[in-house]
Amino acid sequence: MSVPEPAPVRPEAVGDDGYVWRRMHPVTPLLKGWKTVAALLIIASTQLTEDIRRAARLLGGRGWLVALGAFVVIAVLAVAWAFVSWRVTRYAVTDEAVHLRQGIVFRQQRQARLDRLQAIDVVQPLLARLVGLSELRLEVAGGSGSRVSLAFLRESEADGLRAELLGLAAGLHRPGSAGGRATSDGLSGAVGSGHPAPGGRATGDAFGAAGAGGGGAVGASGGPDADWFRGATGVGEDAPGAVGAVGAVGGSAARSSAEAFDHTGGPPGRAPSAAVTHRGADTRRAFATAPEHLVYELPMPRLLGSIVRSGGTLWFVLLIVAVLVMVTLGAPVGSVYSLVPMAFALMSFFWQRINGAATFRAATSPDGIRLRHGLTETRSQTLPPGRVQAVRLHQPLLWRGKDWWRVVVNVAGYAGDHDKQGTETVLHPVATRDEALLALWLVLPDLGVDDPRAAVEAGLVGTGEDGGYTAAPRRSRWVDPVGWRRHGVLVTRRALLLRSGRFWRRLDVVPHERTQSLALEQGPLQRQLDVASLAAHSTHGPVVPRIEHLDTAVAVALLEEQAERARHARRTAAPEQWMRSR
Amino acid sequence: MAPADPFTLNLTWTQVSPRLAAARLTVAALWLVPLLVVAALPPLLSGVVWWWFLAAAVVLIMLWLLWLIPRQVGALRYAEREDDLLIRRGIMFRTLVVVPYGRMQFVDVKAGPIDRAMGIARVQLHTASTSSDAWIAGLAPAEAARLRERLASRGEARLAGL
Repeated sequence: MSVPEPAPVRPEAVGDDGYVWRRMHPVTPLLKGWKTVAALLIIASTQLTEDIRRAARLLGGRGWLVALGAFVVIAVLAVAWAFVSWRVTRYAVTDEAVHLRQGIVFRQQRQARLDRLQAIDVVQPLLARLVGLSELRLEVAGGSGSRVSLAFLRESEADGLRAELLGLAAGLHRPGSAGGRATSDGLSGAVGSGHPAPGGRATGDAFGAAGAGGGGAVGASGGPDADWFRGATGVGEDAPGAVGAVGAVGGSAARSSAEAFDHTGGPPGRAPSAAVTHRGADTRRAFATAPEHLVYELPMPRLLGSIVRSGGTLWFVLLIVAVLVMVTLGAPVGSVYSLVPMAFALMSFFWQRINGAATFRAATSPDGIRLRHGLTETRSQTLPPGRVQAVRLHQPLLWRGKDWWRVVVNVAGYAGDHDKQGTETVLHPVATRDEALLALWLVLPDLGVDDPRAAVEAGLVGTGEDGGYTAAPRRSRWVDPVGWRRHGVLVTRRALLLRSGRFWRRLDVVPHERTQSLALEQGPLQRQLDVASLAAHSTHGPVVPRIEHLDTAVAVALLEEQAERARHARRTAAPEQWMRSR
Repeated sequence: MAPADPFTLNLTWTQVSPRLAAARLTVAALWLVPLLVVAALPPLLSGVVWWWFLAAAVVLIMLWLLWLIPRQVGALRYAEREDDLLIRRGIMFRTLVVVPYGRMQFVDVKAGPIDRAMGIARVQLHTASTSSDAWIAGLAPAEAARLRERLASRGEARLAGL
């Protein structure tokens, strides 16, 4: 039924493979080239000042002109390179995958399978944000460098694409779609001019909304929009602008087909009703953004307080003291200047802490957990259900008085290679104890114990046998005199809880079905004491679940049981496509 | 009779080929013998007796490896169960790794020139976790191929996502 007919679309947009290839936004090369120019400026100002001054002295006023000319030439070249690379970069979306073509010298075509999707981020660096563009990042579990980055798209386009990809990844189908291929068939603009959408109102409850959008479909200038969550209200808000704009980009080739979504046993309330979309040229916006339900947000005073109570502050105080001592002792000014790099490093540390965690908000939606944060560069992450491999709640020493916790997670796609600060793996930068429990509950709604709160709290602050934990034996104090009381493990029906850390308290939670492999380790000292360490291997990330110095017999039994439990849990685990039942 | 080693889990373990020890000793010899020659040159040329201590140290290392490597190879064992593969290694620092077949993402079979000359291969199992350090060295090529096939087919049957 899909006869590729490229005519109505931009001719170059449909490839031999029948996919509709799209370009990024035309401003992209400027935004990307700008970085090169900035880097150049920084290098020039820090490294070449002396040379330029000398050159200027030699050449008189013309030296500056030469330097400026060279700079302009390099800047133009950088932007030109970015422009050519923009020309060859295309992406296409099908029901199964996202394809990305790029590369000037080395051509590359990457295909990210949607059923392997781990997370979708919408990132807006400051400059892109000012001009209303976003970068869409798809994380698939392929280790470092496996992400597919679509930069830059118009904000509304990125949001729409994210909703669509999440819908497809969840196992919903594009109505009457033949895989996003060009199937335009001359019925162009059938829904062309903005049907009013007869749709009920969704109430905004994250898990109960939907079903409402009775035939919720809007066509604005050839870009109809099937809505399955919000009913007419939500669509009405952005239909004239966003949808219209997308429709214009996509051209007016459209065949609309009203038919129900292929919906196989999704959770109640997710049933999309009749939907109208057109195919081929603009399959975008076939899915509306799922409604969100705010769970917690981070107040700025607490963030600042947490930074004051961090190791960086200690260094800062040391630095001030050092400067004061040097000044009072009459040290030469040059030696004080030698501390400047350290001051810069501290400043950037503080800045990154603030920038990464400011305005941190977590929300639930049927698509998973939504995390938004960032001051200059904003990031909006979506973690679909079941993508979190392990959770760690930990408490730096100085946070103890406030009972604050930091919650981090392992997600297979976030290999951590791009982001050394690790802001993308943070579930809550500074949580009160209640919020920490809430964050844990977000990713693991069912801990598999009758009193999850007691179990987790015993893990957070307890020692010994508190809360039913199996503790390390007393004899292990010979290998760990400080922390041995905190080493403990609790096995619930759904997860493994590993507790450790006397001063830097830590609790790791690994769902049974996410355990990759297990290892038992024993050194010579441990052997003498008849204790052993157990490691549960998780995907790459900040959480490395490991419990030291358990009684050997206990550890061996745990290893055996855990292997069995993990096997059982995987068999009954929820499907990868979270809107489908297995 | 010593009490049963808890790390055996009461399973029947398969030992790897002793040719692995030969291969590892060959590799060790490849850099230790030239080192011994270099260490022996100064005392030979100059006649200063106490310069022999360098050569003696190299010889000691050689003897130690000659004792250690066969023991290490002897401690490297594996066992196949219905749903997972177990690998045990180390004498002083012992490790026992359990890898469920369903978690296996891919399997590597590798053999370098020395390994090939000795007729052994190394099987490495990869899960989604970078910390699962699961490998078996010193398998006869036929056994390595059999294991690979078996792991692949079992992994297929028990495949789970991440």
